[in-house]
Amino acid sequence: MLLRSIFLKEWLKIRWFWFVALALNLGILVYLFIDIRHQFQVEHSEMIWYWVFELRRLLYTEIKYIPAITGAMLAAAQFAPEMINGRFRLSLHLPLRNELLVGSWVLFGAIMSGLLALIDAIGLYFIVLTWFPQEAAVSAVLTALPWFLGGWVAYFGATLVLLEPQPLRRLTYLGLSIAFMSILFLEKGYQEYDRVILVLSACALLFVPAIMLPAHRYRHRN
Amino acid sequence: MNHAIEVDSLSHNYGDRVIYENLSFSVPTRKVVALLGKNGVGKTTLIRILMGFLRPSGGQCKVLGEASHKLTAANRERIGLLFEGHLTYDLMTIEEIERFYRPFYSNWRSELYYDLVDRLKLPNSHRICNMSCGQRSQVVLGLIFAQSPELMILDDYSMGLDAGYRRLFLEYLDNFIGEGDKTVFITSHVVQDMEDLVDEVIFLQRGGKILQMPLDEFRTKFRCHSFEMEASSKTPSSDQLITNVDIHERRPVIYSFASKDQLSEHLSVHWPGVKLMHDIPMSLEDAFIGLTGKY
Repeated sequence: MLLRSIFLKEWLKIRWFWFVALALNLGILVYLFIDIRHQFQVEHSEMIWYWVFELRRLLYTEIKYIPAITGAMLAAAQFAPEMINGRFRLSLHLPLRNELLVGSWVLFGAIMSGLLALIDAIGLYFIVLTWFPQEAAVSAVLTALPWFLGGWVAYFGATLVLLEPQPLRRLTYLGLSIAFMSILFLEKGYQEYDRVILVLSACALLFVPAIMLPAHRYRHRN
Repeated sequence: MNHAIEVDSLSHNYGDRVIYENLSFSVPTRKVVALLGKNGVGKTTLIRILMGFLRPSGGQCKVLGEASHKLTAANRERIGLLFEGHLTYDLMTIEEIERFYRPFYSNWRSELYYDLVDRLKLPNSHRICNMSCGQRSQVVLGLIFAQSPELMILDDYSMGLDAGYRRLFLEYLDNFIGEGDKTVFITSHVVQDMEDLVDEVIFLQRGGKILQMPLDEFRTKFRCHSFEMEASSKTPSSDQLITNVDIHERRPVIYSFASKDQLSEHLSVHWPGVKLMHDIPMSLEDAFIGLTGKY
C-alpha cells in the first residue's frame, strides 16, 4: 500500500512529461524507420550493405542521445517540484525511513525511464530486422546499450544535482555525471563497448546508494 | 512523559549572527503552547530544528522523547506538522492527496479531512494549486487532523489567511484539542488569536532570550500603567523592575511585572518626579508589544 501511495505521487508528478518523452521516443523510432527505408529506396541494397558491414557506419545514431535526454527530463519532472519551496521536507516528515522513501522514488523513476529505453531497444531491434538479418538487429541493440546506460546515468546524475543542498557538491555531481556520460558516447562503430559494458553498468549502479547522501544532507543542514 | 518537547541549552547562529544562545524551554504534554516573537527572532528556525531539518550549533532538542535530528518513523507518525505557508503537494487534487497520505498513518481518520474540505464546496477533483490560500489551509489542516497526531507543531498557521479562515481554523483546532491527549506547539503573527486558545506562552526575543509562563499568569502579572512626569525629571527606562517604557503613546506608559505599589516605590527612588497614574487594560497583543517593544 505504501509503495502504491508513493508511486501514485511520483506518477502524478511525471505523467505529462512521461507522455511527452514517450511521444519523443516513438517519434524518433518512426523517423529512424522512415530514414532507413528512404536510404534503401534511393540507394542500392549492396551499397548500404557496404556502408554498414565494410565501412561499419552506424545507421541509427538518431536514437543516440534520446535516452539521456529522457532520463534527465524525468529526473527534473520528479525532483524539481520537491525542491520548490522545500517541499522535500513534507516527504521527509512521512512516517517512513528516509532511505526507503528516496529509494522508492528512484526505483519508480528508473522503472519509468527504463520502460522508455526498453521501447527504444525493441523498436530499434524490429526496425533493423526489417531490412537486415537478425544478427544485425541484435548487434544494433548491443551497440545502443551504452546509450541506454547513458539514460540511466543522466537520470541519476540529474537526481543527485537536484536533491543536493550544497552548491559545491552539486557541481561535483554534475561534473562526475557528465564525465561518466561522455565515456558512454565515444563509439565509432558496432558493439565497441561489449567488453566493458558490464563494468560500466556496475559503476553506474553506484549512483543508486549515492542518492541517499543528498537526502541525508538535506535533512541535517547547518 | 511529562514534556512533549524539551529544548536544552540550544544555540544556533547563521554566520556571525547569533539566533539563540543557551535557549531552554519545554512544552508540557496535553497543553497548547504558543511561541510568540517578532519577525526574525528565529521562530521558524526553531521549528526546523525541532523537526530535524536543521542541525543546531549546540545544545539538544527532544521531541516525544527522541532527539529531534534522529526522529524515528514511529514518532514522526505521532507528530502533525504544519509547515510555514501551508506547504503541501499542490499538484494533487483534494481526493488524491487524501489517498496519498492515508496508508502512512495507522490512525487515519478520513472523516475529519472530508468534514473540513467539504465545507469548501469544491469537487474532490479540484487541484490544490488552483485554490486560494485559505482553501489550501483547510486542506492542510484537514490532513493533519486526519493523521490524528498526539503532538501538533503549527508554524505560522495564519500566514495568508483572512479573518474568516483564521477563525474557522481556530474553531476546528479548538474542537480537535477538546478530544483530549493533544499537545499543540503553535507560532503565529496574529497574537490576539492565541488569547482563547493557548495554555502557556513563550515569548522569544532577539538573541534567544525567552519568557515562558501560563497565559493566565502572564495576563494577571504583566501590567501597563500610564505615568506623568515633572518637566525636570528624566524619562524612565527599562531596568530590573521596568520591562518597557513607551513615550510615543498618547499617554506615556510603563510596562512591568511588578505590582503598582512596588513600581511606585521603585520610581520614587530611581526616577523621582515620575508618578504612576492609571492601570491600562491590555489585550494579549498590547501586552506582547509592551513586552517585546514595537521595533
